[in-house]
Amino acid sequence: MMMDWLIAGAVIMLVAAALSGARFPRVWLALTLAGTATLLATAFWTLGGGAEWDWRSSFAVGGERIHLRLDALSAWFLALVAVVGGGGAVYARGYWPDCEHPASAGRGRTWWSMLVLCMSLVLLCANGLHFLMAWEAFALSAFFLITLERERRETRAAGWLYLAASHAGTLGLFAFFSLLATKTGSWELGPMRDHAELAPLFWVALFGFGVKAGMFPLHIWLPSAHANAPSHVSAIMSGVAIKMGLYGLVRFSGWLPLPAGAGWVVLALGAVSAVLGAAFALAQNDLKRLLAYCSVENMGVILIGLGVALLGTANGDTAWGRLAMAGALLHVWNHGAFKALLFFGAGSVLHATGTREMSRLGGLWRAMPWTASLFAFGSAAISALPPLNGFVSEWLVYLGLFDAAASHTRVAVAIVPATIALGVTGALALAGFVKASAVVFLGAPRTQVAVHAHECGWWMRAPMLALAGICACLALAPAAVWPFISRVLVGWRSAWSGGKPPASLITLGYTHLALAASLTVAAIALWFRSRTNGVRRALTWDCGYALPTARMQYTGGSFAALASGWFGWVLRPERRLHWPRGPFPRQADFVERIPETVLERVIGPVGDAVMVASAWVRQRQQGSLPDYILYLVAALAAMGALVLFGSI
Amino acid sequence: MNDWLNLLIGLAMGLNLVALGTSRLPSLIRVAALQGMVLGIMPLVIEHELRLLAVAVAIATVAIKGLVIPALLRRAMRTANIDRDLHPLIGFLPSLLLGAAGMIGAVVLASRLPLLPEHHESLLVAGSLASVLAGLLLLIGRSKAISQVCGYLILENGIYLFGLLLIHSVPLLVEGGILLDLTVAVFVTGIIVDRIQRAFDSLDTRKLTVLRE
Amino acid sequence: MISILEFLARLAVWLFLAPLLPGVINKVKAWVAGRRGPPVLQLYYDLARLWHKGVVVSTFASPGFIAGPAVAWVAVLAAALLLPLGPLGTSLSFRGDVILLIYLLALARFCTAWAALETGSAFEGMGAAREVSYAVLAEAAVITAVLTLSMQSGSVSLSAMLTPSVGPGAVLLAVGLFAVLLAENCRVPFDDPNTHLELTMIHEVMVLDHSGPPLAAVLHGAAMKLLLFSVLLVQAVLPIGELSVAAASGAMIGGVLLVTVAVGFTESLTARVAFRRVPLLLTTAFLLCVFALLIAWKGGAA
Repeated sequence: MMMDWLIAGAVIMLVAAALSGARFPRVWLALTLAGTATLLATAFWTLGGGAEWDWRSSFAVGGERIHLRLDALSAWFLALVAVVGGGGAVYARGYWPDCEHPASAGRGRTWWSMLVLCMSLVLLCANGLHFLMAWEAFALSAFFLITLERERRETRAAGWLYLAASHAGTLGLFAFFSLLATKTGSWELGPMRDHAELAPLFWVALFGFGVKAGMFPLHIWLPSAHANAPSHVSAIMSGVAIKMGLYGLVRFSGWLPLPAGAGWVVLALGAVSAVLGAAFALAQNDLKRLLAYCSVENMGVILIGLGVALLGTANGDTAWGRLAMAGALLHVWNHGAFKALLFFGAGSVLHATGTREMSRLGGLWRAMPWTASLFAFGSAAISALPPLNGFVSEWLVYLGLFDAAASHTRVAVAIVPATIALGVTGALALAGFVKASAVVFLGAPRTQVAVHAHECGWWMRAPMLALAGICACLALAPAAVWPFISRVLVGWRSAWSGGKPPASLITLGYTHLALAASLTVAAIALWFRSRTNGVRRALTWDCGYALPTARMQYTGGSFAALASGWFGWVLRPERRLHWPRGPFPRQADFVERIPETVLERVIGPVGDAVMVASAWVRQRQQGSLPDYILYLVAALAAMGALVLFGSI
Repeated sequence: MNDWLNLLIGLAMGLNLVALGTSRLPSLIRVAALQGMVLGIMPLVIEHELRLLAVAVAIATVAIKGLVIPALLRRAMRTANIDRDLHPLIGFLPSLLLGAAGMIGAVVLASRLPLLPEHHESLLVAGSLASVLAGLLLLIGRSKAISQVCGYLILENGIYLFGLLLIHSVPLLVEGGILLDLTVAVFVTGIIVDRIQRAFDSLDTRKLTVLRE
Repeated sequence: MISILEFLARLAVWLFLAPLLPGVINKVKAWVAGRRGPPVLQLYYDLARLWHKGVVVSTFASPGFIAGPAVAWVAVLAAALLLPLGPLGTSLSFRGDVILLIYLLALARFCTAWAALETGSAFEGMGAAREVSYAVLAEAAVITAVLTLSMQSGSVSLSAMLTPSVGPGAVLLAVGLFAVLLAENCRVPFDDPNTHLELTMIHEVMVLDHSGPPLAAVLHGAAMKLLLFSVLLVQAVLPIGELSVAAASGAMIGGVLLVTVAVGFTESLTARVAFRRVPLLLTTAFLLCVFALLIAWKGGAA
């Protein structure tokens, strides 16, 4: 009963926030925070062992009675929605205020509340029809948020691309849910593992949800949408919205019977997304685009975990599948936290300098010490470095992979390459984040905009600090969240019961504590030692060259050139180089652009071909009546011929 | 016995990869020669008792593959004054990875083939397939005439390994024939190389496409 | 009480024996070249001197410039403490500690590269770029080697993984790991620690601007990393755990010395390869580990 009131209260508060957003920013902020806090409370109530909440309406919407359900799996994702939804609302107050964006700030607040509400409803709906409605409303509110700054051309283009790709995915989901409804005779969703004929539907779901989740060949909308949206929107899109696709995959792979190849395909897609996502991220020169590609990479890591789990369920519910699934679930939270933190940091840089181009930044740490240190913290966390939280979840996935490989069964054929891919991904991500944080924050300012940067205000700093705190808690006490994970695991696969956290996870937590303490002590001790010996400031040593300028620093492009060169076969960088000629060269320049390979080299040409074909067809549609009668006669004749000769 | 044979075959397979990864013509010739010698002593390991014929063939193989042919190639290289760097059409790193993948594929394929039970434990078929693949890769991926000859040599080594399966039934007849063909081929190539060099000042087979009547 | 003493003994081994290795390498190199060379204890003198020196910090550098070497040093030390020391065993062993070890080395790399980029120098940027890029290939080789050991022993904790020998694939694994050791510790043929041309360096160029105690931390950390890889290599290949205590200690010390001398000879007898050939060399190391893995896999299945 209490849950009914809490969830109803949260929905009402979010609706009220959406209504008040345009006019009353303070009321909106209070209502959104209260709504997300309520959602967070319900999520933790369910995760903490509360009974599964199940509610049916007495009235019907679209011919179906509303059926809402909150189980551990939904609650796991709901907690993420609530945290980033609330944090982003606070951040937006500093980042997208009315005084700077009078036209769009109110609209942004309204759609923000709508987005949080719709994502929560997607997680709660237990009826296929309403799931689709909530899904569509969620996709649309995200579209309006991405195109807040609609006077910019790139933003509009990114918005349309997002809308088109998202609808392609929704089309798959329409097919999925209607086929499901036809085969089971009802729109109700729930466990249906005994219907073996439903297994092929998994592929349809994989496409539909995969587009939203941004897995590799379907990720085309993701980089431009995340790069061009306002940063708090990028944060919720990247940290939470793409997780909705993952939620769908996890949800329906738990409920539906699975085709034999499911685990193999998901594992392969995950490995490809991880490695290529990291490679594309490394090659980017736009800070937010780099973060966006990094989301593809992290979704790949999560999909590797899910793929191993699916292989585990297919091989008799092995313990290694359980470990990998636990890692994947924990990575959902971790990635949500540090990716939102990083996008908030990128937003703060964008706010202070007006550019996302890394080669125009540099040396920002002096002007923005908070942002710089928080961004560095997030970079270390997302590169899966101990003692931070990204490492804990990747460590669990690794454990699952290693155990699966050591089992010496047939699955090792897929497991071994996936493990190597995960290792390579880690090293590539590290290179990418050293590049991102160092080029932006370290060294000397490369342009005037970087010189005149300013630190962000407390409205923006507070959510970043909160997210960093969440990352630290998840890193230092991973065993504390294990009961939640274990409840989600049992809900997903009833054979995987057993609540105790693995002993090694507890040890890892203590090791992290000891590590964090000794790292701090060592850094302080070295600082003191240097202070007592005397610290002298001098110019960076540059081989005795007398006139160093900031433009002589290593750029992001040159930093990444070596490793991204190995991926030239897929990155296909476009270079234009004018060599300096003669003793007093007039001009020399070098331009490099990393195209969106899948979009520009695959989907673009196919789209062009369709356009050409359509243009040809259109020439035959001139509106002249005799032509149409001719077509009619021709069609009749063709059908007649078919009937006549087809029967012979 | 089988262990020693497998060790030798493993060595030969390793040499395939070295051949694919090397960037210098002299070392490519050296690798091909070394592989020829490794293969040459294999009949001695396979035969249970040392027969005169086997010993003679082994000595002949080692001498021809390990000494004569490489000497001819080196001579051609010197007289034609060729640039020692190989200019790959397929980069060294991709060809190395392709070669390794081919090697794993060959082992998997060999384990699936319906072979006699006595050949199940040996790497003969796998080594043969891997060498043939490596030779083909060299032929496709390197442009110089001499490096192509080395590709042929490694390809022939693969065929020779396959022939070792039949060592008890066909007494090295096939091998003798192939070896003869190959020696002649190398002679002919050596002479052609010399002539091409005099005519064109280059030995890039890509440029041979401009030859017309 | 005993465990604390044991821990301190292990700590002492890592802290005090590590700087010996570069000394031995330099001695071997000097011997091959017919010189007398610096004393074996040279690095100890250097560290002691640096510890008392003042620090020069670039005007661009943030506090991370000094924190970076400290964090990297602790990370390497922690990784080393996870590694069992032959008969001394390990202080902390849990499932998956090997992954922690690999990622602690990654943490050290992150911090070294970070501190290098603090200065805004093009040279240091170049070195950091090379370090993190080549690490991608080295990481693939290391993960494969660890996977081999794990498949061989059926375990994911270092102390169990390193007990049995790898069997027939040991030679392949040894060569592969030795190449990774050379690459990760920036020795010839991947990098020349003694060169004087900044353009051709990897690791040394990253620490150009460090001085005083931070430089001491960097140098000591590098020495510990070398010892770490040597110990890992020896234990991965030799069945240390199956020997008696005396024999195991002898095998450990002998093995580490052998690896060190081998590094010295490699440095004396080969030249640094061109940078474009480095990926090829690292890929070869990776492939060697892959073949060792396949052999372990086949052996385990049979």
